Amino acid sequence: MLDNLVLGFQTAITPENLLFCLVGVVLGTVIGMLPGLGSATGVAILLPVTLSLDPVTALIMLAGIYYGSQYGASTSAILISTPGDSSSVVLSLDGYQMARRGRAGAALSISAIASFIAAIVSLVGLMALAQPIARWALNFGPPENLAIILLGLATIVSFAGENVLRGITMAALGLAVSMIGVASGFSTARFTFGSINLLSGLQFVAVMLGIFAIGEVLNQIRAGGVTPIRARFRDLLITRTELRRSVAPTLRGTGLGFIVGVLPGAGATLASFMAYGVEKQVSRYRHEMGNGAPEGVASPEAANNAAANASFIPTLALGIPGSGTTAILLGAFIMFGLQPGPLLFAQQPDLVWGLLVSFFFGNLILLLLNLPMAPVFAQVLRVPYAYLYPLVLFVSLVGAFALGNNTFTVWVVFFAGLLGYFMKRFDFPAAPFVLGLVLGPLLERALVQTSAMGHGSLLILLQRPVSAVLLVVALLALSLPLISSVIGRYRRRHPARQDI
Amino acid sequence: MPAGRTNPFKDGVCDVTGADEPALAEERSGPSRADVIGTAIVLVVGLVVAVMGWGYGFQADNGQVGPGFLPVLTGSFIVVASALELLRMFLAPTAPVEGSFMEGVEKVEARAKEELARAMAESGGGEKEELDVFGRTHRQRGRAVQLVFGVMFVAILLIPLLGLLLSMTLMTFVILRFIESRGWLMSAAVSAGAFLFFFLIFRLALGLPLPTGMLGLV
Repeated sequence: MLDNLVLGFQTAITPENLLFCLVGVVLGTVIGMLPGLGSATGVAILLPVTLSLDPVTALIMLAGIYYGSQYGASTSAILISTPGDSSSVVLSLDGYQMARRGRAGAALSISAIASFIAAIVSLVGLMALAQPIARWALNFGPPENLAIILLGLATIVSFAGENVLRGITMAALGLAVSMIGVASGFSTARFTFGSINLLSGLQFVAVMLGIFAIGEVLNQIRAGGVTPIRARFRDLLITRTELRRSVAPTLRGTGLGFIVGVLPGAGATLASFMAYGVEKQVSRYRHEMGNGAPEGVASPEAANNAAANASFIPTLALGIPGSGTTAILLGAFIMFGLQPGPLLFAQQPDLVWGLLVSFFFGNLILLLLNLPMAPVFAQVLRVPYAYLYPLVLFVSLVGAFALGNNTFTVWVVFFAGLLGYFMKRFDFPAAPFVLGLVLGPLLERALVQTSAMGHGSLLILLQRPVSAVLLVVALLALSLPLISSVIGRYRRRHPARQDI
Repeated sequence: MPAGRTNPFKDGVCDVTGADEPALAEERSGPSRADVIGTAIVLVVGLVVAVMGWGYGFQADNGQVGPGFLPVLTGSFIVVASALELLRMFLAPTAPVEGSFMEGVEKVEARAKEELARAMAESGGGEKEELDVFGRTHRQRGRAVQLVFGVMFVAILLIPLLGLLLSMTLMTFVILRFIESRGWLMSAAVSAGAFLFFFLIFRLALGLPLPTGMLGLV
């Protein structure tokens, strides 16, 4: 562990990597702040720009955009009640209320400090857990891999939110889109409709660029906007009471966020909502929440940052993305010829540990930048959105060309943008689609190999203890929403029995 | 705020515990046409995936998984889930979150959305409460999205003629001038600035061979 940390520091501390870490977190902060441009959009837009960089440097910058945007998104949630990222939506409650009461600067400070503490604590957890899990997963064969991919899909579906059926539909649709092209392990071209361009399949990152950049930006036009509340430097000072009240929620949020973030597919957004819900139940000041309470800022902020870091555990150790953005980062790994998963730790220790150590520097830079500079960054919110979104479309479409080096990829981005817009418009969750898309080829490979191992029978999945347990957990995860819904309805219909 | 919903912020305190829960349940009185059509389209897509998948071969000759196995399975999942969703829309039109373990999360999310809607209404001001910071009404915003998609579509079609960077510059100008109604000078200046910036990044810094089209300019 210590050797790995030293190796990580040696990799992360080179001037080039530090510079791109700084560029990443600053861009991430600005992108996260802009309504409609979340971390997924930021990583997708800037991925083509990093193509000429060394993979470690590129991934350090892209990861910086990811966690940097968590900070930025909070600023816009607090000042205009319109978060750049869904993981900060919950700040629209207490953060925006604090801003309305003249405590915008304090809310920004609490958010930055809680984010930093959560990021550092969860980073320690990430470093401690990722390698043992990867080492454990090294013993996995195709059946175990297949079972763990199914578990990832089941978790994201059950956390899909309002409607589990839509989650299943979108995950399956993502899988279907991933099957376009020549089948993995076969020579059959599927769903190509005679197009040569489709033979090699749709580029995952291009589809993401369309869904997250174009779809989200245009959805923002439909949603409209809000005039920002001005935050001043002198307001950044938080009172002793606010600080005292933020400590416990920050720690609770960090713990909860980390646990939720480790689950494949759960992600930072769910963590922030859950943390707010828990705070609403356990806080001494719960009656003030929703009316500008520091607890309502500290807890979800800590939770979303802890979850963002924790979601790297399944991504790096198992190759199963923990969130939409880590799914895009997984795509970036693949573009650079790297396959996230157990072998990555053994084959590319400098990359993995350099990346993890860069999180520490990145978060430190973010704290130093955000505490005094948040009001300066917030000026970005005063740039009219009418000027911003055409530029986002410009860079997305040029970036699309850079990805595939052909106009066909530009069309893919355009149509994926159309799909992404309608998904947003009609409340179809994007995360299951993304996970289905990224896991599709891995799932099929594991399926074909498992079938070969079992001489055509998939019952081998149940004959091996690890895959059998994982499969049972996946089934439980899938049926959890249904079971809890049935129990909830039963309790509602028979309220008297609860008192017995 | 939609009719029939209570204000969760009444008395200045946001209640996210679900005290005014019936409000959520009342939200849906029946499926919207768009919802039904959208889900039906997804169902048809699932059917196509399953049928085409069957054609690729469900099983290989040696009895192992064939190239059509996963498409058939996936397509079937889409068909079943969409059909159940359609049934749910007509038979159980209340909010589907009721009683589920995600209910608490959904409630917090719903309150946050309402807070955003309230902030937007306040930003627009009293008599123009329908207008957002773009100065557009809800209907105009929907139309703007259609126009932007149209302009993007034409701009991509023009790439073989004008080249990538010039097409995108033209797209930016048209959006700014004609959809966002910015001045001629400002629209031209921003478009030219964008062209220069992205030319420097993609062409000079990254050295990407961007298509110059039939004009062959840049």
